[in-house]
Amino acid sequence: MEASSNLTAANAPKRAAEAGATVTKRLQTELMQLMLSPPPGISAFPRDGNLLSWTGTMAGPADTPFANLTFKLSLEFPSNYPMSPPNVTFTTPMFHPNVDMAGRICLDILKEKWSAVYNVQTVLLSLQSLLGEPNNKSPLNGQAADLWDRDPAEFKRLMLLRYREAEEE
Amino acid sequence: MSSPDAAAIRPSSHSFDLRSLTYITHVDDNLCCPICQSPLVDPFTTSCRHTFCLACITDALKVSKSCPVDRSPLDTADIKMAPVVLANLVNDLTVLCPNHALGCSATLSRGNVEGHLKEDCQYVTVDCPGCGEKIMRKDRQGDSEDCVHVEEACRYCSEKHRKLDMKSHEAVCSAFTSSCRHCGIECPLSKILAHEATCDEAIVNCDSASVGCPWHGPRKESTTHSVSCPLTHLRPLLEEHNSRIANLERENKLLRRRLEASLTARAQTDIIQSNTTTALDNQTLRVLTEQERIRSDMERLYVSMQELDMKQNTLAMFMGENMRTQEEVAMIGAAVNNLQTQLHGLQLLTIRRQGMDQNGAGNRSDGPSSQVKRAAENGVLGRAGRECFSDMFETRD
Ligand SMILES: [Zn+2]
Ligand SMILES: [Zn+2]
Ligand SMILES: [Zn+2]
Ligand SMILES: [Zn+2]
Ligand SMILES: [Zn+2]
Ligand SMILES: [Zn+2]
Ligand SMILES: [Zn+2]
Repeated sequence: MEASSNLTAANAPKRAAEAGATVTKRLQTELMQLMLSPPPGISAFPRDGNLLSWTGTMAGPADTPFANLTFKLSLEFPSNYPMSPPNVTFTTPMFHPNVDMAGRICLDILKEKWSAVYNVQTVLLSLQSLLGEPNNKSPLNGQAADLWDRDPAEFKRLMLLRYREAEEE
Repeated sequence: MSSPDAAAIRPSSHSFDLRSLTYITHVDDNLCCPICQSPLVDPFTTSCRHTFCLACITDALKVSKSCPVDRSPLDTADIKMAPVVLANLVNDLTVLCPNHALGCSATLSRGNVEGHLKEDCQYVTVDCPGCGEKIMRKDRQGDSEDCVHVEEACRYCSEKHRKLDMKSHEAVCSAFTSSCRHCGIECPLSKILAHEATCDEAIVNCDSASVGCPWHGPRKESTTHSVSCPLTHLRPLLEEHNSRIANLERENKLLRRRLEASLTARAQTDIIQSNTTTALDNQTLRVLTEQERIRSDMERLYVSMQELDMKQNTLAMFMGENMRTQEEVAMIGAAVNNLQTQLHGLQLLTIRRQGMDQNGAGNRSDGPSSQVKRAAENGVLGRAGRECFSDMFETRD
């Protein structure tokens, strides 16, 4: 093991250079898969020709207050993706217990529960199910968490108000 | 350690990151690494039986000591080389040369990529034999040990160019000439093809050769010929006709093929249809006939039954009457017997009385028994009897 760690260290600069190629290749593979067999209700594409920044689109799940609405997200991939998770935020104004007013999302698989086998598709699908099943124990938006259980009608009204902000812009 | 572990094959043992290759055929998902989502490179299997590229799982374990698929605890010691068959499968996949974008058009099995890059690929970066600067292998001048960055004079124009750029200069060098095949004029290599295409001395056919003009000669005379060539004036017309005829022939051929196809298809469907319809008709007809037959049979049977019913009734009536008649006949018979007996008795009495009368008158030649016997022999006993009766009644009255 001694020798091997020396070898690894010796190759460190080269490996770092390869990391860029690995990320590019992986994101190209993901893009190809998303284009060839697009999963229903979600889509994602690099924006401004930058493979490390994507815009995702997600349909609000049926039988939730978000039904029939479309939400846009931003995905920023780190240079060591998929070893580290992408930074995912809602760009459409969102009113949800686990999303703050800046669109930042609290979801374990995007933080400590991230795994290198996750990809854009699994992330977007997880977020889609988060919309219908929020985690109200540790909310980022206390009002949303409170109304979700107590007053669904008011929740939907405020959520739609937020959503309309986007349309008026 | 007998089986090879992660340290035995190092990701850095490849001169090139095979994970970034472009595969030209679809690759089964089972041959892909869950981390890089590309065909496995140096497949290694975890103690929890998940397989990754050695480089991928090594990187992942640096971030988290758990399996990326099932999160079970995992360390570098827990990963072993996957079966060789798997490695062979992924190494046989066909890929584009990694220098495809630079101009290399080679496609090869993945296992040969490193060999290709090392030996053959003209688009790999190599060191200039003279100064050590990076150049493409195709720019090396054979086995020459000279620096390709040193300028030298062009063989034709004496302009100074780097050895590296000499080939591309020669392609445009105005002094690098060649003579025209037709007129012999000297022309820069880059322009010779363009000149030959328009050279006045080049032998050309008449523009109307396509419609039958046999004339050919130097290009400079073709204009003069064209003016006098009768076919040149007719050519637009002829060509139009020709193309129209060709079109019609094509169309005709197409239509004929289509017709044949549809006729064949039609014939087949007709056969099938007529087969099925006749079969169907025959069967239906048979069934209908049978039904009709049964229906009329039933009707007939019904009528016969009614007739029989009536006959039975009549018969029953007759039978009743008959029985009464029989009784009457029997009664009459009995009465008749009774009367016969009485008559017989009366006859006997009469005979005896006659006998007594004859005896009394002395005429006893014919006995009464012989008279009865004669009457019986004449078969007229009845009548005789009746006569006797009336006699008797008359007698009695
Ligand atoms: Zn991999
Ligand atoms: Zn596992
Ligand atoms: Zn090549
Ligand atoms: Zn040089
Ligand atoms: Zn020259
Ligand atoms: Zn010429
Ligand atoms: Zn002519």
